[in-house]
Amino acid sequence: MKIAALFIALVVSQAALTTQALAAQVPKGIELAAKQELVRSNGPEPETLDPALAESVGANQITRDLFEGLTATTTSGQMVPGVAASWKQTNPTTWVFTLRKDAKFSNGEPITAEDFVYGWRRYLDPKTASPYATTLAPFILNGMDVAESKKPLNELGVKALAKDQLEVKTPFPVAFLLDLLSNTQFAPIHKAVIDKFGKDWTKPGNMVGNGAYVMKDWRVNSAVVLEKNTHYWDAKSVVLNKVSYLAIEDSNADVKMFQSGETDYVERLPPGSFEQFKKSNPADIKNGAMLGLRFYAFNNKDPLLKDVRVRKALSMVIDRDTLASKVTADGQIPAYGVIVKGVNGADVTAYDWAAWPMEKRVDEAKKLLVAAGVKPGTKINFTYNTDQYHKKMAIFAASEWKTKLGLETEMENMEFKVLMKKRHDGEFQIARHGWVADYNDATTFLTLVQCDSDANDNKNCNRNAEDLINQGNQALDPAKRKALLTSAAKLVMEDYPMIPLLQYTLPRLVRSNVGGYFESNPMDRFRSKDLYLIKR
Amino acid sequence: MWKYTLRRILATLPTLLTVITVCYLMLHMTPGGPFDSERKVSAAVLANLQAKYHLDLPLWQQYLYYLNNLLHGDLGASFRYADWSVNDLVAKALPVSLLIGGLSMLIAVFSGVLLGIWAALRQNSWVDHALMVFCNIGGSVPSFVIGPLLVTVFALWLQWLPSGGWNEGQWRFVVLPVTLLAVINLSTVGRVMRGSLIEVLSSNFILAARAKGLPMSTIVLRHALRPALIPVISVLGPLAISSITAAVVTETWFSLPGLGKLIVNGASNRDYTLVLGLVVLVTFVAVLFNLLVDLAYALLDPKIRY
Repeated sequence: MKIAALFIALVVSQAALTTQALAAQVPKGIELAAKQELVRSNGPEPETLDPALAESVGANQITRDLFEGLTATTTSGQMVPGVAASWKQTNPTTWVFTLRKDAKFSNGEPITAEDFVYGWRRYLDPKTASPYATTLAPFILNGMDVAESKKPLNELGVKALAKDQLEVKTPFPVAFLLDLLSNTQFAPIHKAVIDKFGKDWTKPGNMVGNGAYVMKDWRVNSAVVLEKNTHYWDAKSVVLNKVSYLAIEDSNADVKMFQSGETDYVERLPPGSFEQFKKSNPADIKNGAMLGLRFYAFNNKDPLLKDVRVRKALSMVIDRDTLASKVTADGQIPAYGVIVKGVNGADVTAYDWAAWPMEKRVDEAKKLLVAAGVKPGTKINFTYNTDQYHKKMAIFAASEWKTKLGLETEMENMEFKVLMKKRHDGEFQIARHGWVADYNDATTFLTLVQCDSDANDNKNCNRNAEDLINQGNQALDPAKRKALLTSAAKLVMEDYPMIPLLQYTLPRLVRSNVGGYFESNPMDRFRSKDLYLIKR
Repeated sequence: MWKYTLRRILATLPTLLTVITVCYLMLHMTPGGPFDSERKVSAAVLANLQAKYHLDLPLWQQYLYYLNNLLHGDLGASFRYADWSVNDLVAKALPVSLLIGGLSMLIAVFSGVLLGIWAALRQNSWVDHALMVFCNIGGSVPSFVIGPLLVTVFALWLQWLPSGGWNEGQWRFVVLPVTLLAVINLSTVGRVMRGSLIEVLSSNFILAARAKGLPMSTIVLRHALRPALIPVISVLGPLAISSITAAVVTETWFSLPGLGKLIVNGASNRDYTLVLGLVVLVTFVAVLFNLLVDLAYALLDPKIRY
C-alpha cells in the first residue's frame, strides 16, 4: 500500500513538472542587441555531429543545438520538456510520453514516435558501433543486450504506441530517466535522410535535425555555423539567429581571440590564469561548479596498495585546501568522497578526518603505515598524462607524501592514450583520473567504485556497498533511494579505493552582454536557444 | 631530362611503400589504441568498433586491405572524425597549408635573397651586421615566441588584424601566420644567400669580370647570382616541406585548419588511417620538392645535366 501511495505521488509530481516554463525568457527591461549572432569557442574539433556517436563535451554541445530529445536541460541546469508535451509513469519501469503536436524536423516534416524508436535503436545498434553505447544503454530495457548483440534491435525497451505516443521500458526504476533522456543520443532521427546519404547525412545541406538550430556550414578544424531552425516548435523563444562554434584547441589562442573581440566565449581558461582574469575581466569571468571529480586511482591489486591502511594514509595527508587554493587556484572544490556537490540521488560524503588538523592526520597516517609495515623511503609510482595542470598536481601530491610520510614518488608522465591503456589494464600503482557526469545522478559517480564496472580502474569491490546500490536502484521513494546510495558511497569509500581530490569547476570567459548564461549549471549544458545578446 | 624525371617519379614508389610499411608497423606497435579513452569501452562495444574499422582482422590482412584502398585512391575512414574520410580531411586541410606555406615561402625566398645580396655586397658594414642580427633573431627565436608577440602587437594593441581563425582564407586572417612563417624562413634564406654570394664574389671568374671593368650590378645579376643561388635552392626543399606540412605551432597558435595540426592530432588520437594518409602525402610532397630542387640545379648550373 505504502509503495503504491508513493508511486502515485511520484506520478503526480512528474505530471506537474510538465506544466513548468519551457524555455528561459529574456527578462523584462533588457534591450536586445540588433545583431543576434554569437561566436562560441568550443575546444577541439568535434569528432562527429551524429548524436549517436558523439562522446566529447564539444560534440555534444553542438548536437544539443541541432537535436532535441524528449526532455532538455536549460542553461540554469533545469530539466524541461523537449519534444515530449507530457508523460506519465504507468508502473515503476514503464513510461509513456506524449509528443508535441507541433514538433517538426528541420525540413518541416512532423516528428513521430517511430522517429524516436528508430533513433534509439540506431544508437544502440552494434553496426553503428557507438563508443558511448554502453554508457546509457543500461537504463533502457534490453539496452545492454542489444548493444552487445545478444538480443535483436526490436527487443529494445522503446515502442511507438501511436504516432504521438512513445512507451519506454527500463530494466529497473530509473529515477533520473527524464534527465537521462535529455541526452541527444535519445533524439528522434529522420530515417529517410540516413537512408539517402549514409555516413554523409551530417554534412551541411544533408542534415535534418529537430533542434533549435540547423547546420549552415561545417569547416573542419575551423567552425560549425548554425542558423535558427524556423520549424522548431519553440522557434519564437529562440533569440540568437546565428551561432558559430569555433574549433580552438589551444586555450591561450582561445583567450587571445576573445581579447581581440573575435569570440564572445572562452571555452576554458588556460590553467593558472583564473585569478588574473578575475581581476582583468570581472564582468566576463564565470566559474560554476560542475559535476566532475578529479581523483587519483589506486591499483587495489598492487602488492603495496592492497593494504587499505596504506591507501588511507596516502589519501589523508593530501591537503586539498592548499591544492585548491594555491596549486590549481581556479576555484575548484576540495573533495573527500566519490559524490560531488550538486549531483542528484545522493549526498556528498566526507571522511571524518577531513575536519581534523593536518598534524593529527599526519600522525594517524604514520601510524597506519607503521602498522602496515611500510617504511619511510618506500617507493611509490605515480603515472599521469603529460600536461602542465596534471604535473602541478602530481608534484604537490608527491611532495605531500615525501614531506609528511617520507615516501619517495617516482613520477612517470606519458601520452594520454598510453596512460589510458595502462590504467585500464591495471598496469599502474597510482594514476591520474578524472570523471565528468554523463547524467545528473549519483550512480554515474558510483560506477567508478563498483564491482565489475568498466569505469572502475581501481578494481576494488565492496559487495555490501553493491547491495546498497542495487537496493537504491530498486527503490521508488526518492528519499529512501538517496539514503541508500549515500550509505553505499560512504561505505565503499571507507575502503579507500581512490583518492578524491577536487570537484571540477569551469573557469571561462563569457562576454558580459551574453544573457541567459548561469553559473549554476552543473552539467555544463548551455543550449544556444536559451542565450541572447544584450544591447551594449 | 624527361627520362630522368620519369625515373625519379618511379623511384618514389618503393620509397612510399617502405615509408607506409614502417609507419604502419610503428603505429600498431605504439601502446594505446584509437578507442582508449578516459572511459573504458566495454569488450562488446570494442568488438563492434574494431569490426567497423576492420581492426578485428589479422595485421597483415589489415595492411593489405589498406594498400588495396590506397591503390584505389581511398585513404580510408578516419578513426577519430567519424563523419569524414581521410580524403575529406586532407582535401580540406591541404589548401590551407598550401596557401599559408606557399605564400610565406614566396615572401621568404624573395626577401631573403634580396637581403642576402644586400648584406653580401655590404659585407662587414653596419647594414650587413644589422641584417644578420635580424636574420639570427628570426632563425633562433622560436615560433612560439614570435607568434604571441605578433598577436599582442597587431591584434591586441593595434587591433589591425584578427588574432586567429581562418574564415575561409580572408586576407586579414592570413597576414599574421604568413608573416610568422615568412620571418622564420626568410632568416635561413637570407643567411645562406649572404654566405654563398660572398663566396662566389671571391671566385676567380668574378675577379676576372671585375678586372674587365664590368659594373657591379652586371657582375652580380649576370654572373654571381646563379651559382650563389644553388645552396639557397638546396635549403628550399626542406623549408618548403616543413612550411606546408609541419607548421604545427603556427597552426595551433592561430587556430588554422591545416595539415600540421591534423598530423599531430592524428598521432595522439591513434587515428591510424589519418596518420598514414598524411604520411603518404608528406612523403609525396618531399619527393616532389626534392625532384624540383634537383631539376632547378640543372637550370642554374650548366655543369649539371641529366
